[in-house]
Formats: sequence, C-alpha cells, structure tokens
Amino acid sequence: MSISETPSNQTPNVTRPSECEPHVNVSPQPQTQGECSGEPKLRVETGGEWLRLSLISILYFTIRNFTNTAQGVIYAVPALAISFNIWDNLLSPEVLIGAGVLFLSTSISGLVSYLMYKFRIHNQHVEIHHGVFQRRYTNLPLWRIQNVKIERPFYYQPFGYALVVLDTAGSGKEEAKIVAVPEDYAEALKKQVLYEKAQHDEGDLDCLPDEALSDEQSSSFPTPRTRAKAVASSHSNEEVLNRRSVKDIIIHGITNNRVWIILGAAAPFYDDVFGLVSEWLADKGLQLNQLVGEQTVAWWQFGLYAFVIIMMLMALVALLSVGGALFTFYGYTLSRTGDRYIRRSGLLNKLEVSMRASRIQMITAKQDWLDKILKRVNLYFEQNSTAGQQMQELMSPNKLIVPSVTEDEAFALSQEVMPGCDLRGQEYQTISKRFITFWLLAGWTLPFAFFFTIGAVSSHLDIMLGTLAVISTVALLLTLRWWRWGIAFDDNYVYIRRGRVGVDYQCFEPYKVQQVIVKQSVFMKRKKLATIKFVLASGAVTVPFLPEEYVNKLADCVLFEVESTRRSWM
Amino acid sequence: MTISAQQETVFSNNQLSVEDIPSLQMLALLPISKKYRALNILSIGLIALALIGIASALRFQSFWSLPEGLLQAYPYVVAGIGALHSVWALYHFFADVRIFYAIREQDISKQSGLIFRKLSCQPILRVQHVEVNRGPLDRWAGLASLQVFSAGGEMHTFEIPGLSIERAEQLREFILAHKDIGAR
Repeated sequence: MSISETPSNQTPNVTRPSECEPHVNVSPQPQTQGECSGEPKLRVETGGEWLRLSLISILYFTIRNFTNTAQGVIYAVPALAISFNIWDNLLSPEVLIGAGVLFLSTSISGLVSYLMYKFRIHNQHVEIHHGVFQRRYTNLPLWRIQNVKIERPFYYQPFGYALVVLDTAGSGKEEAKIVAVPEDYAEALKKQVLYEKAQHDEGDLDCLPDEALSDEQSSSFPTPRTRAKAVASSHSNEEVLNRRSVKDIIIHGITNNRVWIILGAAAPFYDDVFGLVSEWLADKGLQLNQLVGEQTVAWWQFGLYAFVIIMMLMALVALLSVGGALFTFYGYTLSRTGDRYIRRSGLLNKLEVSMRASRIQMITAKQDWLDKILKRVNLYFEQNSTAGQQMQELMSPNKLIVPSVTEDEAFALSQEVMPGCDLRGQEYQTISKRFITFWLLAGWTLPFAFFFTIGAVSSHLDIMLGTLAVISTVALLLTLRWWRWGIAFDDNYVYIRRGRVGVDYQCFEPYKVQQVIVKQSVFMKRKKLATIKFVLASGAVTVPFLPEEYVNKLADCVLFEVESTRRSWM
Repeated sequence: MTISAQQETVFSNNQLSVEDIPSLQMLALLPISKKYRALNILSIGLIALALIGIASALRFQSFWSLPEGLLQAYPYVVAGIGALHSVWALYHFFADVRIFYAIREQDISKQSGLIFRKLSCQPILRVQHVEVNRGPLDRWAGLASLQVFSAGGEMHTFEIPGLSIERAEQLREFILAHKDIGAR
C-alpha cells in the first residue's frame, strides 16, 4: 500500500518511455529524456485510433476456425452416427450440402473474425475488441503483463509477421493475442513491455547485476539512476547459454514421451487412421479375433505375434516421439539478456518464451530411468504458475525447459540461475522408514486383504498370486520412493530429492516461500516425526516423515529467512 | 520512499544463534469462537433433515407409485443418512475445538485437524489480499472467516474459520496495516 510510493513508481518515469524506444534511449542518466523524443523510433503506442490487423491474420483466423470446427465435428460424430446412419447416407445431397455450408461458413468466418478484431495500444494499455457473436473487450495495462511470447506460424514467416501473446500473472484467461503485426513491431512491443515491467516492479532491485549497484552501495534502494542503468543493461546484447543439437533433441524424444505433440496435432484424423489400419490388417489376412479364437495357433506363436506387434508399436511411438520433440525443440537456444532468460525453439512455429531471472521460483532437474542410463537431465526453471494449467508444459511460459542436457551442463545451468547451488553434492536427510509401513498399512492392507480373501475363499490360486505380486510391487516402489526422498538445506537453498526409479532434484531459495505447513498425525507425533510442506508461487513441495526436530528447525529457519530478509519473491 | 529509508536506518544484521530464531513451537495459540462448532453441527443437522425430508416426501407422496424395492429401502436410506451425518457431526464435535490461530509480528498461523494436525504459517509479507467471508449462517451467528491469499494459489488459501466478526475485521486491519503488505 504505502510502499507503492517507493521510487519505482514515479509517474514521470513510467510515462516517459512510451514516447521512445526504450533500449537505445535509456541511458544511465534519466535527464536525457529530452533527446529521445526527437529520434524517429518505432513507436509502440498506436494512439487513440483503433487499428485493424494485417491482412495475413485472415489466414490465421481461418486456420484457427477450421481446427476449432474440426474438433467440434469430431465430438459430434459419435452423436450423429448413433442418431442416424450417416455412413449409408455419406454422399447424399443433404450431408454434402451440410458439409459444404459448414466449410463455406468456416472459410468466411476467418474474414469475419478479422473484421471484428480491433486493437490499440493507448496510454500504456493494450486494448482489444474481438469475438464475433460474443464481443469481448480486453484491457491490459502494459506493466501488468508478465510474459510476452512471440510466435511465428510458418505461414507468417515469409511475410515477416508475428503473433504476440501477452499474459498476466492472473489467470490464463487473461491472455491477449495480437494476432498479426509486423515482426519489428512485435519486438518493439515486447521491449516496451519488458521495460515497463522493469520500471514498475520493485522486484527488480533484488536481482540487479552487481556492477549496477556497486556505485550506489551506500543506499539499499534504487535511485532512478541505478534503475535506468539496470534497464539499459537488461537490454544489452544476448548471451547464448545453451543450444541443443538435433542429436540432443532426438535423445530427448526417445527418453521422454513426446508422442502427444504429434497425437494432439493429428487428433482430427484419428478415426480415418484407425479405419485405414484395420483395413490394412484385414487385407493382410490378419484378423485379430480370428487369431485369438483359433485353437490351432500355439500359445508361443501367439505370444510372438503379440511381442512383435508391441515392439513395432514401441518403435513407432519412439519415432513419433522424436518427431514431436523435433517439432517443438528444433533449434533450441537458451539465452540471457540482462536479467532475463529467453528460450527459442520450434521447427515450423518459432516459439519464444522469456522469463525474468528473479521470477524463477524453483529449479527442477528430472531424470527418468532412461535418462539415468544416458546420463541426461531435463532441467526446468519454474516461475509462478496458475493452478490447473499444467497441460501445456512445454509451451507454457511458467516453466522454462532445457531438454536433455548432460549432467555437467545441468550443473552449470543451475549454477547460472542459482549461484552456488549443488543439487547432487548435498547430504540429504532421508525420510523415515515408517513412510513405507504407513502407506502399506493405511493404503494397501484393505484391498490386499480383500482380494486375497476372495482368492482364498473361491480357491483361485491365480488371484492370490496376483494379489501377492501386486502388493510386492507396491512395496518395492514404496521402498524406492522412501530411499530417494530426502531434503537438505544450506545457507542459501533448500534442496529436495525424490523419485522412484528416476530421480528428481528440486532446489529453491527459502526466502521465496509463500507459506509453510507442518503436518503431524497422532501416530507420527508419538514417533517424533512430521511432514513439511512449502508453498511456493510455482506450486507446493512436500517431504513427509522427517524427524520432528528437523522439521521444526527448518520451518523456523525458512520463516525467519522470509520475514527477516523481506526480499521479493518475484 | 520513506519506508525504504526507514528500513535502511534501522537495518542491522547481527549474528543470531539458532535459539534466537523465533520458533513455531512457542506460539501462543488462541481458540476460535465456540459458536463455530455449534454452527457446524447445526448445519450438518439441517442437511441431514433436508435429505431425510426429501426421502420421506418421495416415500409418502401419493402422486405416483414407487417400486417395491425402493419402499423397502426407505428405512435403510434414512438410517444411512443419519449415520453418515452423525459421523460427520462427531468429527466436527471433536475437530472444531482443535482449531487454533496465532498472530506474530510477521506472520499468522493456524493449527487444525483431529488426527492429522496441521500447522500452517503465512508470512504477512507474502499476503496478496485478504477477505472476510460470511455465509448466511455465519451472519446469523455473528461469525466470519478470514481468508488470506498469497501467490501460492487457490489451493493454498490460508483460512481461519469461525472468528467473531469483530476479531475477523481486526485481523484484516492488522494484516492490511502491516507495513510489508503490498511489497510483495
């Protein structure tokens, strides 16, 4: 409240840059404002006039509407197929007319969407009017914008256009797309937004480069001078931190199932594909139900068939997954400008995600079993997430992924983001063995006893054996989980290790914690154990069944760190 | 401006021994209003009554005839509703008196839970906004619940239920007046 009167919010400074392109004009001295208004830079403000998009956006809208319609039709197909026999009447005039009308209206709808879309950037606000039947008005103040993504669908590339996605800290719904603007303008807008943020945020101050503060050491808060300097330095040239070669991306495709990227894109064609495949199989004389039904085929033959088919499917999946990985990560670069990390990648659509270093809440290094064999790590930098937005993990601006880096690179990158953090070199406090017994007793005894008794009573040995197998697998997994789960903290960071077969390491700075929760059941209290949970802006992390004393000390230390340092989490 | 300057003048960074760090174990916990339990049990009773009422209305109405099986099931349904709600009410009977809260200079804590005791601590520095919530029954009983939102998301909203309305407003004022709020 009262803090909003701190220097970061001086109005003259905030309104100033709208007149001029920030990254060149902002020199260390704020007095140079007069000069910049004279320079003919690309202006971001469009003034009070409402603008239309470039014509190319018709193509974008058309394609978008077509995909939407296709998805809608996919859902409608089962209903239609049930209500009347569509396949018999497939070529009847009614169906053809219906399809034609649908096609035409969708084609025209692109044009209509284009006509109904107006935007302007006026008085530091991005304003958009859009929507055909349901008119929507979006108003985003520039300084509230958290992330700017610039997307370049492949059909934009030859014409030099780009799509700007602006989103705020709030919900995913508060996302605004400026669908087609010239690339230079997109870049200028992005710089402007980043500049506004830097001006507006107090959060800056914690993460200024050292040299920017060195001449101002006498004061703990930024004068306009240091701020301007920081902003200037944040727009200086980029340094590439990491590149991923095609080989790395192929490895990533194999170790991580990225099939869904392709599957998602191909969703409208599923039915056809399955139809084709079954026809093809039938052509080859391979009838699945015949195969199962016939007694003449020996069981080992049948097993062999199944094995071969599974292997073929696996190979296909791996191939698709590699394709998916290439699709999203081709030409991956992670670079740094000033206090920002920028990720660029994509085969057809170049995608750009940028994230402020100070916004990073947590580093996660994930290693699956296959990653472990190949000695690769997926590194994630997580910033504040809005709950329920997990699906778009790869594209999400909330998580910056560095796919399949080597262990050394992972170490170097985590050092870059959180200096002095060593994920592997910690002495982890492991959790108590009671974790295993608790889950076995509390979660699994009942179903186990139930099914085992059923097996015993009905004297089915296979049910009994199956139950035993399941319970021992569960016990094994729980043991592995117990063995991995641990926590450590040093002067700067809290580390968490977890996983079953693979290992995940997480690391965060204690002063970024939002809330601390200590849980203890009556039984745990008796055994002097407790569970600790840290709520961060990027999500919560829990470590169960730790010694009570350890948990209390850690909770107190973390709270003390938050409350005494008063550093910003953003 | 003034705040930063103040912070600067009073800034100190003396070495602390571990014992000097304030401990959550030392919290002086305050109980919430006693009415809260009564209110919860009352509302559970009302829900149970409403459900039994619906079942009875279906059973004894004369507009259409029900299958024989449903008629036979009626006493069991009523008994089931009664049993479930008694367990629920019993839980509240024991759990609601175990909800405590505590305020320190820099944070606000809540302890709750019957078998799983949960102590959550929300630093005021991280509070984004505060709400005082009152349902219709709460209003009738003069109660309110205090909701404190941080960037941890909806899932981790810090809530102290069953406060008297004066206390809830007082806590809200305390949090809002805290010099750190808004500093993010």
